[in-house]
Amino acid sequence: MKKIGILLLSVLLLAACSSGKASNSADYPSKNIEIVAPASPGGGWDLTARSVQKILKDNKLVKSNVNVINKPGGGGEVGWNYLHSKDSHNLAVNSSLLLTNNLLGQSKLTHKDFTPLATLATEWQAIAVSVDSPYKSINDLMEQIKKDPKSIKIGVGPGLGNDDHLAFVQVADMKGITPADLNFLVYDGGGGDVVTALMGNHVDVVTTSLSEVKDQHLAGKLRILTVSSDQTLEELEDVPTLQEEGIDMVFPHWRGIMGPPDMTEEEIKYWDEKLTEMVKTDEWKKLLENNDWDDFYQNSEETKAFFDEQEKLYKDLINDSGLVK
Amino acid sequence: MDAFLQGFQIVLQPMNIFWVVIGGFLGTIVGMLPGLGPATAVAVLIPITFGMDPTSAIILMAAIYYGAMYGGSRSSILLNTPGDGSAIAATFDGYPMAQKGQAGEAMAISAVASFIGGVLAVFGFIFLAKPLANFALKFGPSEYFLLMLLTLSAIVSLSIGKMVKGFIAMALGLLISTIGIDPQTGVHRFTMDIPHLSEGIEFLIVIIGVYAVGEVFYNFLTIDKVKKEKKKVGRIWFTKEQWKRSKWPILRSAPLGFIVGVLPGAGGSIASMMSYSSEKQLSKKPEEFGEGAVEGLAAPESSNNAASVGAMIPLLTMGIPGSGTTAVMLGALIMLGVRPGPLLFENDPGMVWALINSMFIGNIALVIINILLVGLLVKILDTPAKVLYPLIIMLAFIGTYTLSYSTVDYFLLLLFGVIGLFMKIMDFPIAPLVLAIIVGGDMEQNFRMALTSSNGSLSIFFSSGISITLIVLTVLSLFYPIVINRFKKRSRNGDKEAISA
Repeated sequence: MKKIGILLLSVLLLAACSSGKASNSADYPSKNIEIVAPASPGGGWDLTARSVQKILKDNKLVKSNVNVINKPGGGGEVGWNYLHSKDSHNLAVNSSLLLTNNLLGQSKLTHKDFTPLATLATEWQAIAVSVDSPYKSINDLMEQIKKDPKSIKIGVGPGLGNDDHLAFVQVADMKGITPADLNFLVYDGGGGDVVTALMGNHVDVVTTSLSEVKDQHLAGKLRILTVSSDQTLEELEDVPTLQEEGIDMVFPHWRGIMGPPDMTEEEIKYWDEKLTEMVKTDEWKKLLENNDWDDFYQNSEETKAFFDEQEKLYKDLINDSGLVK
Repeated sequence: MDAFLQGFQIVLQPMNIFWVVIGGFLGTIVGMLPGLGPATAVAVLIPITFGMDPTSAIILMAAIYYGAMYGGSRSSILLNTPGDGSAIAATFDGYPMAQKGQAGEAMAISAVASFIGGVLAVFGFIFLAKPLANFALKFGPSEYFLLMLLTLSAIVSLSIGKMVKGFIAMALGLLISTIGIDPQTGVHRFTMDIPHLSEGIEFLIVIIGVYAVGEVFYNFLTIDKVKKEKKKVGRIWFTKEQWKRSKWPILRSAPLGFIVGVLPGAGGSIASMMSYSSEKQLSKKPEEFGEGAVEGLAAPESSNNAASVGAMIPLLTMGIPGSGTTAVMLGALIMLGVRPGPLLFENDPGMVWALINSMFIGNIALVIINILLVGLLVKILDTPAKVLYPLIIMLAFIGTYTLSYSTVDYFLLLLFGVIGLFMKIMDFPIAPLVLAIIVGGDMEQNFRMALTSSNGSLSIFFSSGISITLIVLTVLSLFYPIVINRFKKRSRNGDKEAISA
């Protein structure tokens, strides 16, 4: 009974606060905020959306209520289509699929159809082999692929055209290997499946996100040859970055958040402020740590420029990979 | 040993016992409702687990998972509608038993079978986790392909007398499973520019459509014709005779289900189907299977629960989710700052053992919950059709919506309802269709991956001991029924003792 009383009281107080404030600040947001997770509950996008929701709420950064809605399907396509028709109280989580879906001809929408609000975090890519593999460095491996592309089976998942695939394509490209010759085995179960395949020696090398292989590497069950980050990573001091191996590239696997088209200047500014604050909270930092993500915050302006630059890169990679004819 | 005892101490905290019981109960409920499976239930609970102690969270999620294995067969038995892929096998004999007025016995034996399967599997977990995890690694694309082939051949061979219809249903299922983006090439197949179809057709929609909606449609056809005579539900506990028949099948199915569960991607559907078909082949009275043989219900029930325990092994020892539910659990655990993987046993043994021990408590709680529910659930059979069928349809639509929050799925649901109706009218077996959809996609991908890695040579399918064993079993499962029939016919005139020996 006591609890209900407290609850009622706080609801009343909240109601009083919000009605009092609404009059003096700009009217945005005037109703509940909805964050679209373009995937089923439990996946990376869902977790990103729910974390943003929780941190915005717990720190009272946003005065209206924040909800998460799941719209899975078509590699984000279904959720983003949904967002496209909504007003500025709806946001959606995104990743490089926003760019690649279009480049691969799987979607008509591009990043230009939305209002980028921020890039939030990034994961890094890793290329790993089994512990008894004869290849001790990424250059050893690439040497062999150059000699006989068919001799190296590369595990990737859950589909071609994603960051796991394209990161490897870029490495091969930079070593002068024709990416279309690469012998990819696609595991549609994704990261976990390719790691199992590597540990069972069903493939020679895997390209996946770092979090899938980090623990196995630390436990000595497989060997990460290289990571795609710009500097050596904590706990993985023994693993060189691609740049340290003389392959001049950095490959982030980023996640961000965006709004529907035609958001106003004020609305964009609102989110720039709120999200800058959000990424500074301890909860956000803890989340990054738990997921092996790195801070990659860029505001709306920077994200826009970043998208243009990324689109160009992906376009080249996809053309080289032979996926689009 | 210390860690084991420490784990028990953690589980026996009242709060954790509370979560085990709540999880088991929730799991039983979602397992019963078509479409609402453990994966959905765990996913919906993720926001709640945010504030929880990670150990309690994993105990809760695991309890939902195996709780659903108990619940899944309830609707199979009562309504001929499996709650999940792993409960399909429970329709084969569970529903005929209910029609014979043995619903109470069926539910009681399946609860006890689940309990025994679960507890044996927990022992398996304790002693065999590491070697089995290593065994699972030996399964490459060719082995997975052959395992799925074995499952399909086993299920087709079950439909004796209508083998051709079984093959047709299976082929239809395989066709449906090709819808979506082809992972190996990125090509869209049969998606008709509907983005929703690019990830293929969710097999749960097919299950709900063909079984639940199809069953309701079918009953509409006959609702006025036959005055169903009331089947008295006599007892809610099984007889000694039924126990005697089920005892060995239950004990044999537990290890089988457990091992299949450990293989990432195989899971409860394949496990329960394999136990059913092997029990049928071992049985002295195979002709009773499908007509309400009690061991035909008990075996898959023991097996799928054991599989759900087995599925925790790759998750906890390697950080690799072996099923949809464990994938969601992995996501939730990462959010809580726990990363299942090779280091978990070393870094956090208390938590791992707490989970393992919670499964003992959970299974005890579940067998009690489920037996207590029997008396209540048999009442469903007394519900008048005009109340029951609209209710089923409503649940079917709700369950479908929760799968991907899309209305496109409603149309698919109705389409499969109609397909189910026609299959019933024309007396096609349904299980081959559904199972082909469940395994078809993976089967094709594994076949192609195997060939890619061998540069096109078929010899890869004969290259390991596991492959050859699977091939032999597949051949046996197809021809055994035929051979045994011949053998029986021939010896019918002769010595009857020889057969039973």
